[in-house]
Amino acid sequence: MRSVHPAQPSADPMLLARRSPLRTFEESRFFSLTLLLPILIFFVALNVIPTLWMIGMSFYNYSLMSAAPPTFLGADNFVKIYNDSDLWSAFGRTFVFVVLAVGLETTLGVLLGFLFWGSSNMPGRRLALTLLFVPMVVTPVASGLFWRLIYEPTFGVANYLLQQISGQKIDFLTNIDWAFGAVLFVDIWMWTPFMILMTLAALGSVPKAELEAAEVDRLTAWQRLWHVIWPHGKFILMLGILLRTIDAYKTTDLVFLMTNGGPGNITELIALKLYRYAFASLNIGFSSALAVILLLIAIAFTSIYLWVLHLRRYREGV
Amino acid sequence: MSETISSQPFSRRSLLKGMAAFSAAAVAANALAACAPSGAPTAAPAAEGASPLQGTVGDEMRGKSLELSLAVIAGWPPSQLPIEMFPSFAAAVKEKYGYDVTVRKTEAPFAALFQRVAPTLAAKSQEFNLIVSDSQWLGALAEPGWIIKADDVYAVNPELDLEPFSSLVVNTYQVYPDGSGQRWGFPQMPDTQGLFIRKDLVEDPAEQAAFEAKYGTKLPSTYDEFAELTIQEYEPIFEFFNRPDQEFYGTAAQYSKEYDFFSCAYHPYVYATGGDIWDPATGNVVDVLNTDANAAQLEYFRSLTKYMPPGYSDFTIGSMIDLFTQGKVFSAFNWLAVGLFMISPELEGKVMAVPHPKFIFPDGEKKVIGAMGGQPWVINAFNDDDHMRVCIDFLKWWYQDDTQAEFVSKGGLPWSKKGVEAEGFEESKPYTRAFKYMLEEGRSRDFWHLPEYAELLAVQQEAYSAFASGQVNDPKRVLDYIAGRQQQILFDKGRTQTAPPAELLELTLS
Repeated sequence: MRSVHPAQPSADPMLLARRSPLRTFEESRFFSLTLLLPILIFFVALNVIPTLWMIGMSFYNYSLMSAAPPTFLGADNFVKIYNDSDLWSAFGRTFVFVVLAVGLETTLGVLLGFLFWGSSNMPGRRLALTLLFVPMVVTPVASGLFWRLIYEPTFGVANYLLQQISGQKIDFLTNIDWAFGAVLFVDIWMWTPFMILMTLAALGSVPKAELEAAEVDRLTAWQRLWHVIWPHGKFILMLGILLRTIDAYKTTDLVFLMTNGGPGNITELIALKLYRYAFASLNIGFSSALAVILLLIAIAFTSIYLWVLHLRRYREGV
Repeated sequence: MSETISSQPFSRRSLLKGMAAFSAAAVAANALAACAPSGAPTAAPAAEGASPLQGTVGDEMRGKSLELSLAVIAGWPPSQLPIEMFPSFAAAVKEKYGYDVTVRKTEAPFAALFQRVAPTLAAKSQEFNLIVSDSQWLGALAEPGWIIKADDVYAVNPELDLEPFSSLVVNTYQVYPDGSGQRWGFPQMPDTQGLFIRKDLVEDPAEQAAFEAKYGTKLPSTYDEFAELTIQEYEPIFEFFNRPDQEFYGTAAQYSKEYDFFSCAYHPYVYATGGDIWDPATGNVVDVLNTDANAAQLEYFRSLTKYMPPGYSDFTIGSMIDLFTQGKVFSAFNWLAVGLFMISPELEGKVMAVPHPKFIFPDGEKKVIGAMGGQPWVINAFNDDDHMRVCIDFLKWWYQDDTQAEFVSKGGLPWSKKGVEAEGFEESKPYTRAFKYMLEEGRSRDFWHLPEYAELLAVQQEAYSAFASGQVNDPKRVLDYIAGRQQQILFDKGRTQTAPPAELLELTLS
């Protein structure tokens, strides 16, 4: 009995003669392109074309509130953004939010990550990890809503506990001194698990042999961290920081649900501003210009991320 | 050979081919679906010489089956009643015209419904055949030609052109541009502002005695007594019932940044100065809104928060309902359209609704000009003939006396002279008398029907919220900030010839 092995198709001249056109196509370079075609169509239709459209629209005065066709403005929308003090305030707030959120999430994530890494024999570790990751997988809309209820001054749990302890209540989401911090806290609650995950991944990337060698050489904890763990783990950790930075910079849903950018504009982040221009005012031209600027900033973040990856390849000699 | 082949029924390559074929099919299916007209309307031949704006006039709809798509405001009970009552309409047209109709409801909160509807209309889609619009959206819907002109419908259906109770109905829900007399909307439900009061407390002899002992004057306890009070005269009453130690407060009003909540609550205080929020004739906001008198009123409006529960700067319509029905406030400023929902079973017989408190106007007259609420119906101009007929049939059914009576019995409010002046209407619900009072000529007014409504509103809601929360404490600065930016918006759109002063545009809320 003879078997047909796919790895040796040219062994039999008869088989070669009977090779179907489909097989020929499969082996041609067009086959891989055909396989890519569906996703390419989606990518071009849903990503490339809208982005190009948005860039084009950013030079026009176009509002969905008007039957008037778009009129070319040149760079007027960008000039308007440059001169808009409110938008600069929103950029400033967003910067503060990103720095504080990512900074605290990273600090807490690394600390807790080390704690879990060093407690592999702790009973209930797996359950604790699972519970810790719950905030990350809950949709921001749900998180925003139930934290809004938790903070509620009349019947919220946070204020109930606060009153039991201090006899006072705080309007967390409507008080100008607390609102920003209250939203920031929820973001930290949601995304610290992500940094724990990245820390655990970073620590997992450290070769066991090197850790054992460090132990044999009686390296101090600090020496172990600096000379063994950090060189291996820093790339993954930095990747986590960059991903969180890009994500925090886009924060919209959480703020929209919790404070709607208020009180006043205390929590009005730039992505929320963009949402208002685009979907409340339906000012397509101006919002496109703002979106282009936000896109450029996001590209800057992504470039840093790619640079870090490149750095890793360079260091590893790949 | 066959043995070897059959041992690998799904090779990796076959699997990839299958996935590629499936993906290609999915793409093709999506593309075909995207090309199909929305709602797959089938253009039916119209009856000989009959305009679709007449509705169904003969047998042209007989045997047909279609779906009417209604866009309504979520969380707003009056907007839900047409959906609840729709089966009666379906039965009526089945019997009268012989067609089957079902309803598809799409709902979104006040602030989001326009965002949901506008892009579909801009795309000339008939995704929503009939829309419950907020009154201020009339300009945004009418100017691009997205909705049918109500005058055209009235021309062929004079029976729909009911006599309104007052000009407030026409000016608020129908006319755009203001003062033009051109009608675009069909009144769905009018609404006015009122104050809901705990009647059981003001009638309590112990409370009355305590009030008299403290203030040396009688505690008002009847509708007529409350209806004559100015906001300043209300203050001792709010103060008397403000008992934070018992988690019970004097009153509650809407200071939220959301949608138009703060604006509608504050505007009566502006009108009380004899002032306005803009000048419709010149399109100017600067020096109209940002006056010292309006700033003083803004300050005063905020000062009332001392009688309110914590978290007032986030209070919405829903907060009023929650606080009042949960027994946390003595009184609450709210729209009378939600009157039924302000009276929980526990509060049955214990609630009285009175008109919005009065003000002493600059001419010395004691009166009130409240903000108008309520919504009109608008008809999608891109409806095919069949859906257009069903929309008109629906409105004809909606404005029938028995339909309106059922609507009112379920908590709706009438707008026609016949409906409002119907015998027993004033006494029918605890809030209907106040509603009728506030709907009378000159007692309420609406603001902006401009297409720029959303942009103008966003500016002032953010600034008012900044003031309510204490982010900015200078009321004049808040009004200057709003005036500058609103003037810029109107100037950019060509609604005013006056550019805003540069110094106003430099102001921030930080």
